[in-house]
Amino acid sequence: MSLLSQRISRRASVALAAAVLLAPVALYSQSVTVTSDSSGTSDRWLHVRVVSTESKNETVRVNVPLDMAEKVLPAINKDRLHNGKVRFNDSDMNGVDLKAILDAVRTAKDGEFVTVQSNDSDVRVAKQGGYLFVHVTEKTANSTKNGKPSEKSRVEVKIPMKVVDALFSAGKDELDLVAALRALSAHGDTELVSVKSDDNTVRIWLDSKNISD
Amino acid sequence: MIIVAKCALALASTIVVAGVYTFREGVIKVDVDEHRDGGSHVHFWVPAAAVPMAMHFVPKRHFREMPGEASECLPLLKIVTSELRRYPNTTFVDVQDGNDHVRVATVGSKIQIDVVNSEENVHIAVPLSTVNDVANQLAADAPGV
Repeated sequence: MSLLSQRISRRASVALAAAVLLAPVALYSQSVTVTSDSSGTSDRWLHVRVVSTESKNETVRVNVPLDMAEKVLPAINKDRLHNGKVRFNDSDMNGVDLKAILDAVRTAKDGEFVTVQSNDSDVRVAKQGGYLFVHVTEKTANSTKNGKPSEKSRVEVKIPMKVVDALFSAGKDELDLVAALRALSAHGDTELVSVKSDDNTVRIWLDSKNISD
Repeated sequence: MIIVAKCALALASTIVVAGVYTFREGVIKVDVDEHRDGGSHVHFWVPAAAVPMAMHFVPKRHFREMPGEASECLPLLKIVTSELRRYPNTTFVDVQDGNDHVRVATVGSKIQIDVVNSEENVHIAVPLSTVNDVANQLAADAPGV
């Protein structure tokens, strides 16, 4: 073998070795690029946070991307949940026609539908600005604050009407969870549920962040 | 001398290529530490690509004997793992209860489960692609999927 061909062969070998040795680095950097690309999304996230001060300061945080929930829910077929829809029957509703009530609420103008004020609790159901509000305040009977009965617990639910519509868009005895999630994802940042009591705080809200505060 | 060098280069290249192929899907890491006296300490890592490969050698009848509840979950597992890949470095569940802490999160392209309490520490990290591959293979042979 001539000197020239030996040199070429040696250089080719070195180049091949370098290429092979650098391949893992190249592959790794490629995978890192893919990872960072996929993190920059405008997904909507449903957050659940439960803080219990009862015994050991228990905190539960759940963060669910709505997009993922929309795809995962139809795959769960168990008991009453099928294809992202929950089936219920009349006995569950004690003979109340939920769909008829919803139709009445939907077509009604903004206003307060239910207001109950008692020594034990206050209940308010209202429709306002495209949202359905349900507020329940439970009072402590033997305790007062500034002359008023102090609050034992406060539940605030705020649901966009479009979500309620979507929820009842399936058949008569079905709740369409996937349609509701889709309607929810089209909404802006919203606090959906807030429960405050002496022992527990529960928050369910929607935003574009993948972490809860 | 050159022949020896070429053989060494070929061997090194083969080892590197085999290494890259084996570790292309990352590594499964399992760390278990029990805090009690005589408690077990398990620390191992396995190339993730080895698991789907190893499953080819498992007799198919074992997959067919899978409980119905488990086979029902396989389509769900496939969807969840493929969806989770879109959310790297995200904490999905975080539960803190006194000294107990449970966390389910994605770290890069892996699903990581951490359980830390006064009795034991468990950390498991599995590449999502491996879980997906395993679910696909199980689903292919599971009854009723």
